Amino acid sequence: MTIKALGWIIALLWIITLILPISVVFSLMKLAEGKNMGIQEPIFSLSNGNLSLTIPFYINNTGFYDISEVSVKIKISKANTAITTLSKNLPNIPAGRMINASCNFSASLNEIFQRHSTLLTEDANLDVDAALHFRVAYAIAFNITQNFPTRWGAPFQNLTVYGVAYNNTANVFSFSISFNNHAFFPINEPLTIELYNSSGEKVSSALWSLDVPSGETFQELIEVKITDPSEMTRSGFIRLFFADLKIFEEEWALP
Amino acid sequence: MSELVPRPSRRKIGLRIARAFLLTAAPGIFWLIIWFLTSMLLANFPNYQMLFSVLAWGLLFFTFAIALAEGTIYKYLLIIVRAFFLIAYLAYATNSGTLNINFENFTLTVEFVPLLALMIVINLLDIARGLLQAIEFAAQSPKD
Repeated sequence: MTIKALGWIIALLWIITLILPISVVFSLMKLAEGKNMGIQEPIFSLSNGNLSLTIPFYINNTGFYDISEVSVKIKISKANTAITTLSKNLPNIPAGRMINASCNFSASLNEIFQRHSTLLTEDANLDVDAALHFRVAYAIAFNITQNFPTRWGAPFQNLTVYGVAYNNTANVFSFSISFNNHAFFPINEPLTIELYNSSGEKVSSALWSLDVPSGETFQELIEVKITDPSEMTRSGFIRLFFADLKIFEEEWALP
Repeated sequence: MSELVPRPSRRKIGLRIARAFLLTAAPGIFWLIIWFLTSMLLANFPNYQMLFSVLAWGLLFFTFAIALAEGTIYKYLLIIVRAFFLIAYLAYATNSGTLNINFENFTLTVEFVPLLALMIVINLLDIARGLLQAIEFAAQSPKD
């Protein structure tokens, strides 16, 4: 009797073991067909020193099983050195249900560019490792990883300071700045300008509001008021900061 | 009369081998069909052909040996050995329930540890059943 019962249990368990992976494959095929999955246009934004990426998507789980442990991980590196790793866990998708959600990634500019400050001023080739993980029927997990190269567009490409002048009567130091915003996001954070004399003393600092859309060229004359003209010399150096990161330093000399 | 003794025994062995071959042929066809169905789909799995061949030939060998050992206690011992072989081989061949397929710059990893655990449980149950059957057989026919 026990042997017979064991035989039945074994047969039943083998049927379950064989049917489960086959039905999981069919379930995924049903999910993949038609317009059961879709990604809308990603939205990039830059605010308070944080770079945000929002990818809205929808999944209509027409398969037989619940999809759980859904997560997305993106690792961006330059010459085998990791720049940033973004990961996001997404909600479970029960069978027969449709979900509309968005995948939000946020990273501090300071964190990203502290070790790779050249990325702010120079275009570069980056490597992206993207991974999607999910589990079907709480039993079989799938991990899809893809690595591909991508071109990084620097937000301050060709950053140049020129046309330095000083007005003795008004005590105004002026210069022109130009750069191309090659980044995929608009620049709307202020630029901090620090002016130093030949002794290395700070003679003035100012904040300059920027609003440069992606792909646009910025070119403007900037005027900085010198509070103590006695500290002013005929040469020195200028520093530009963006989101607390030094992006430019160059010597200046009055003509 | 004593000269006639080996004849039925040889015939019996011949019949036993023929029966074992016939009983092995059915699973052989089954594995062949599975091979045709999966070889195209799973061609990208590394060493798939070798891993599948070892599993199929291993199980066919056990089917043949078990059929040949019908009516003896060795049948149950072979059932137990087959279950141990399946546990060890499935864990090894599936890399403990994790399979990787590599394309150019794309990797698919399938992790089915719960399913592998279920297969191990099934084989452990098979071992238990084999032991019970062996005990029952030994109790019923002490001559064997």
